[in-house]
Amino acid sequence: MTESQPTVFVVDDDLSVRRGLERLLRLAGYRVETFTSAREFLARVAPDGPSCLVLDVRMPEQSGFDLHAALAARGRPLPVIFITGHGDIPMAVRAMKAGAVDFLTKPFDVEALFHAVRQALARAS
Amino acid sequence: MTREAAGFRELRTAAAALGVCVGYYVGAHFGFLLRFPPMTPSVMWPPNAILTTALLLAPPRHWWIYLFAALPAHLAAELGAGWPTSLVLILFATNCSEALFAACGVRWLSDAPRRFDTLRRVVVFIIAAVIVAPFLSSFLDAAAVAAVQREPYWSVWQTRLFSNALTELTVVPALVIAATRGSAWPWPMSLARTVEAACLGALLLIAGIAVFTGSAESGTLSGPMGTPFAVVLPFMLWAAVRFGPGGASSALLTTALLSIWGATHGRGPLGTLPIAEGVLPLQIFLITIATPLMCLAALIEERRRAQDTLGERLRFEQILSNLSASFVNLPGHSMDGAFEIWLRRLGEFLRIDHVLLFQFDGEGKELVVASAWTDPEVRHRFEDSGEAPTQGEPWHQLVLFSPPAGPPLEPVRDPGSRAGLDIRSSSTIPLEAGGEALGALWLGKLTAERTWSNELVQRLRLVAGIFASALARRKADNALRTSEGMKSAILASLPSRVAVLDHEGRIIAVNESWIRRPSEETTWDARLGVGANYVATCRHLASAAVPFAQVALAGVERVLDGSRASFSLEYACGHPVADRWFAMSVVPLNHHQGGAVISHTDVTERKRAEIDAERSRRDLAHFTRRTTIGELAASLAHELNQPLTGILTNAEAAQQFLHVTPLDRDELRSIMCDVIQDARRAGDVIKRLRDFLGKGEPKAMPLDLNALIQGVTKLVSSDAVIRNVTVRLELDPNLPLVTGDSVQLQQVVLNLMLNAMEAIGEGECAEHRLVVRTDCPDTESVRVAVEDSGPGLRDGSQEQIFEPFFTTKREGMGMGLAIARSIIEAHGGVILAANNAGGGAIFHFILPLVGAPAA
Repeated sequence: MTESQPTVFVVDDDLSVRRGLERLLRLAGYRVETFTSAREFLARVAPDGPSCLVLDVRMPEQSGFDLHAALAARGRPLPVIFITGHGDIPMAVRAMKAGAVDFLTKPFDVEALFHAVRQALARAS
Repeated sequence: MTREAAGFRELRTAAAALGVCVGYYVGAHFGFLLRFPPMTPSVMWPPNAILTTALLLAPPRHWWIYLFAALPAHLAAELGAGWPTSLVLILFATNCSEALFAACGVRWLSDAPRRFDTLRRVVVFIIAAVIVAPFLSSFLDAAAVAAVQREPYWSVWQTRLFSNALTELTVVPALVIAATRGSAWPWPMSLARTVEAACLGALLLIAGIAVFTGSAESGTLSGPMGTPFAVVLPFMLWAAVRFGPGGASSALLTTALLSIWGATHGRGPLGTLPIAEGVLPLQIFLITIATPLMCLAALIEERRRAQDTLGERLRFEQILSNLSASFVNLPGHSMDGAFEIWLRRLGEFLRIDHVLLFQFDGEGKELVVASAWTDPEVRHRFEDSGEAPTQGEPWHQLVLFSPPAGPPLEPVRDPGSRAGLDIRSSSTIPLEAGGEALGALWLGKLTAERTWSNELVQRLRLVAGIFASALARRKADNALRTSEGMKSAILASLPSRVAVLDHEGRIIAVNESWIRRPSEETTWDARLGVGANYVATCRHLASAAVPFAQVALAGVERVLDGSRASFSLEYACGHPVADRWFAMSVVPLNHHQGGAVISHTDVTERKRAEIDAERSRRDLAHFTRRTTIGELAASLAHELNQPLTGILTNAEAAQQFLHVTPLDRDELRSIMCDVIQDARRAGDVIKRLRDFLGKGEPKAMPLDLNALIQGVTKLVSSDAVIRNVTVRLELDPNLPLVTGDSVQLQQVVLNLMLNAMEAIGEGECAEHRLVVRTDCPDTESVRVAVEDSGPGLRDGSQEQIFEPFFTTKREGMGMGLAIARSIIEAHGGVILAANNAGGGAIFHFILPLVGAPAA
């Protein structure tokens, strides 16, 4: 584990999804930080080094899209991979237009997730 | 009065006038035979007596007819005797005056001018007709004879006075009695009396002939003048004692005629005397013997009649007491027979022809014949003549008193004839009881006149009183029976099975339906009949666990002991084809001793309709549940995808961990725990969904509404997340359990929450808040409120929103709230909608704690 190890942030209100993702991504060699809500994530100091964000769309209070917009507004754009339990085409279109790396519908294929994370980190660096 | 009857009466008067004419003529010639020429007056002069008889019998308005009828007979008889016309006319005048004096005197003084059966009547007759009338008329007669024939005035006066007095005394009673009796021919006389009368007549004739017409010199019965009369005296006494004034009068007439004939022909005891000298003593003797004899006869007759009256009264009282005894306690249905018997006895006792009992008809307006009796002989006679007097309308005319509304309620006596109906005599006695006119008792005699004395009428009123009370009783009986019959008919007509229990629970009456009940529909009480103890049987059956017997027993006992005003129970009854439903109702018997009325009514049709309605409601509710689930599809996918994602990612992680050495068992165990938990979560979602969509029979069970609301909240939690709505539960931790169907109430809560979230989504409101609150407004109910921060209800739609097909949504069916209301009402509760003071709408429903079981 080095300082340059890329970091994957996970924001999801569902505990088991958070924990599953954390385990998977850590085994894949990433540094993983999880947050239960948009507010929690926003409260964190901006990370150093390459990083990306795996973000759930539907969450109480602030949604994934809100958080995405808020990050853009603060000038710390972060490659984002949206995940959602119930997605449709308009939602996917909206996510891609906003600059998302990918839009995955739960339950998603693990390889697809890794692929998206790699892309996102590539974009970040 | 009919024309035929009037004609008949005129004919009868004419015949009587002719009889008077002939009698006068024959009497005059007979008088001539009993004369002592050259003297003008006779020893006896029958014409005057005949005229007197006619006037006594005829009504005064007809007197002139008889006087005129006598004139030609007088002229024919007396002009033939060679007397001057003037004398003949004067003598007619004196004869008429004597008859008029006698008739007027007797009519004026006597209570019954035609009768000689009391001492008073006989004395009146003797004074008026025997003494005064001859006395007054003889002055003119003697003057005329003395003037025209030059005979000595006082001699003529004396002879005429005594001869007329003797004639009146002996002839008039005999003729009057014969005439009045004659109208009732044949005289009612037994064979013994007929033989006795014949013997008496024959012996009197033999003795009279022997004494008065034998040779004057034979001397067999010579001696003092009284001796021969002593021979006939016993016969006259016999006649007087045994045959009354009529007999005495006839015996006197016979004796007088025989003795006078003997005297005028120089025979008998007076035959030895010079004729003129013998007549006067004879007349005086006959008058003196006749007067006490007539009085004696009258006395004896009076006494006999008094005895008869007394005997009759005793017999009547006997009849009255028997009558009274036979009607007391006589049941109404036996009365017709009793009336018939007693009308006959009354008729026979009073010797009348007809007795009729009239009764007012049902409406009390018209009199109808209730019972009638006619003397069989009279009926026979009328049937022979082709008339049937007891049948038909004319009898109604006889009743001369009006229906209940009007007076008079007095007996009506009609002793005279009613020509139109050929009734000689009748009497009508009103029947009344308790001031109410009930009918009339009519008594009539067709064959002869009879008097209706006050005493008789009084007695008849007693009879009428007994009849009246019997009729009143029968009327009351009938009314009672009609009323009882009506009650039984009402009971019998009820389709429900009805049994009446006494205060001890014994069945005292059942209706037709109770008895007719088909055997396959037996319930616990179907085989019980009158006399069985319902409560005891129920107790027995309850101990044998017969369905419903225990519940029914408790209900019946509580109604019987007064602790419940009524009890009702609905129950199903096994039936070969289909279940039948009955409603049992127990109410107290309205009777001073208490008791109860049990009824079982077949309510299968209503019950089936209810079941059908409930079924369609349930189907509809199920259908809408499916629709609701359709609406929730996105939310449910989200709800399922969360654990599935967890499972998938954790499982993938676990697979990766297996390649890592050394094997991190702790991490793997932790992963497995997460996987299992997620799988359970997914299973719970599916289970909730399946429960919610279930189409099972509604089940009433104790429910914790708080838990139910939490469950529903989970179901919509994803939806709330999707819609960005915050759901807050404010649940009363001390909420009591309610009874109801869990699926149905979940549906209501879900429906209200989804509606609220949709409303919040519609509005442009800053706060997306949904609050579900539970509390207890009072000790008997719980309340569930669903409050949203949406735009609220449009004014006036608070009521409409619960109507079927009312919707404000573009894609709604408008059934959700209608079904919610039907579910809440089926649970005995109410559901309401209102706008919240701080904006948004609030829906709440209230359920009773001891509510009706879910339908």
